[in-house]
Amino acid sequence: MNVLLFGPELYFLGAALIFFSLTLKRKVQVKADYRIALALAAGGVAVSVLCLFQQGELFFKAYKVDLFSQIFKFALALGFFLVITISHNLAQIEERYHAEFYLFLTTTTIGMMMLVSAVELLTIYVALELSSYSLYILVPLRRGDGIDVEAGIKYLFIGAVSSGFMLFGLSYIFGATHSTYLTEIMPKMAQLVQSPIGVLGLLFSLAGFFFKLSVFPFHFWAPDVYQGAANQVTTFIATASKAAAVAVLLRLVALGSSYGYNFTQVLVMLSIISMTLGNLVAIVQKDFKRMLAYSSIAHAGVFLMGVLTIKEAGYIGAVYYALAYLVMNFTVFMVLSEVAKDGRDLKIVELAGLWKRSPILGLSLILGIFALAGVPPSIGFTGKLLIFTSAMNQGYFWLVLIGAVNGTISLYYYLRVVYAAFFMDPGDLPPVTVSFPTRLLNYALVAIIIGFGVFPDQIVRLAQAAVKTVL
Amino acid sequence: MLLFNQLETYLYLAIVLFAIGLYGVLARRSLIALLISVELILNAASINFMAFNRFLAPHPAVGQIITLFIMAVAAAEAAIALSIIVALYRKLKTINIEQATELRG
Repeated sequence: MNVLLFGPELYFLGAALIFFSLTLKRKVQVKADYRIALALAAGGVAVSVLCLFQQGELFFKAYKVDLFSQIFKFALALGFFLVITISHNLAQIEERYHAEFYLFLTTTTIGMMMLVSAVELLTIYVALELSSYSLYILVPLRRGDGIDVEAGIKYLFIGAVSSGFMLFGLSYIFGATHSTYLTEIMPKMAQLVQSPIGVLGLLFSLAGFFFKLSVFPFHFWAPDVYQGAANQVTTFIATASKAAAVAVLLRLVALGSSYGYNFTQVLVMLSIISMTLGNLVAIVQKDFKRMLAYSSIAHAGVFLMGVLTIKEAGYIGAVYYALAYLVMNFTVFMVLSEVAKDGRDLKIVELAGLWKRSPILGLSLILGIFALAGVPPSIGFTGKLLIFTSAMNQGYFWLVLIGAVNGTISLYYYLRVVYAAFFMDPGDLPPVTVSFPTRLLNYALVAIIIGFGVFPDQIVRLAQAAVKTVL
Repeated sequence: MLLFNQLETYLYLAIVLFAIGLYGVLARRSLIALLISVELILNAASINFMAFNRFLAPHPAVGQIITLFIMAVAAAEAAIALSIIVALYRKLKTINIEQATELRG
């Protein structure tokens, strides 16, 4: 019984040990290693489904296992599995480092899994650093002419500064409430309403997660890291990592529920700036991954909009959108890494005529892009609808209006991708061959994007049951 | 009341350290100096934790344990940072962040 409580983490820990032993092998066997990784990742999804309805507390109540955490653990295991499925062709990572790639991908997944369950400040900090440090190593693994290392340096230093901010903020929360347990901090936060040190402490402690989510003051790394890292690593950063960040933000922002105006006002500002800045800069991008990076900054603003309502409806929207974002962003990145088989950075014009070069990838791309843009009947639309209505019901009229205007701006650069893929002449760009498993993956993703967009009830109900334990 | 036996002294010290660290992060261009600045920020947080633990917190050890963890994690961070700095130096022959400007747009 107790083992199942800690099941997904233990499983991935075991997987990490296996990958570690693979890194020690003297002879490089890329194909065999990949098969092991794929099997282990599929097992991880199965284990996380098995543990979906576990409930309990571990490690002196520093670690809470509930539906909320288990849903996100499932999302993380799924993200890990999906990234492994597109890693069959790790062209940009030297062959002798493939095992290390799997190893650090696993450790960062463990870190994020612990992060979504942690309800104690020190546990949150250590889990966050475990997940971040593995990513810091993954980014410069790419072989290239120095841009990978440059991206790695930027990622590391912005991450280190933001976690420094977070620790500084946590220290004030600890000082003001004399406790490190969220359950004990929550009732005492109400007394801190008047003191600026409390607001500052809480805002600073959110910095670490603003960094992960690439919210405005900590967003500088996103475009460079997206472009500089190998496509598969970027995919992981853009999907699983965001879901984990949303989960912890939901837990921590709930602490500010008694703050009222001042606290949420700051979040409203950050949300507006993130959305506007991300969308406006995305318009001029030529590199596909850079454009997606700015789109992720814009999406961070949307997530924040759901979080800052601090009400059940907004939280449901945020959970739903986090899961949806994982699927739709992965779909786009999957197309990207299939088209750029040699692992190069894809320009948007290189997508020209994708519809003719590979119809199935063209279909996935258009659905993924439309979902990101929030076009019905995709999951992206349903998620945005949930978040916008909840913010509207809370009286954030201007925020919703700016969000809607931003949605329109974002259509411009999303449609540019669609235009390239469907109306531009492919010229002498070669056709893209898609293997049978990838084809299956494409069908599954398309079915999820449409299916859960039209019938979101199941997921919404699950999210509703999950957020009850957080608020 | 002695100066060193007051909570405020340590809180001000931590804020000063934090500010120096933040200034260093924004102003310095050498990666080693950046790393030192980041460590200063972490140490500011550590001082806060220790001070709150000494003067306010009922449980005697929580703040100290957190500080120990911060030290261990910061050591790991320094190891990763230095290894990436070495990798950068091998490729660009410099550790000045302004030379690393290939990614733009």
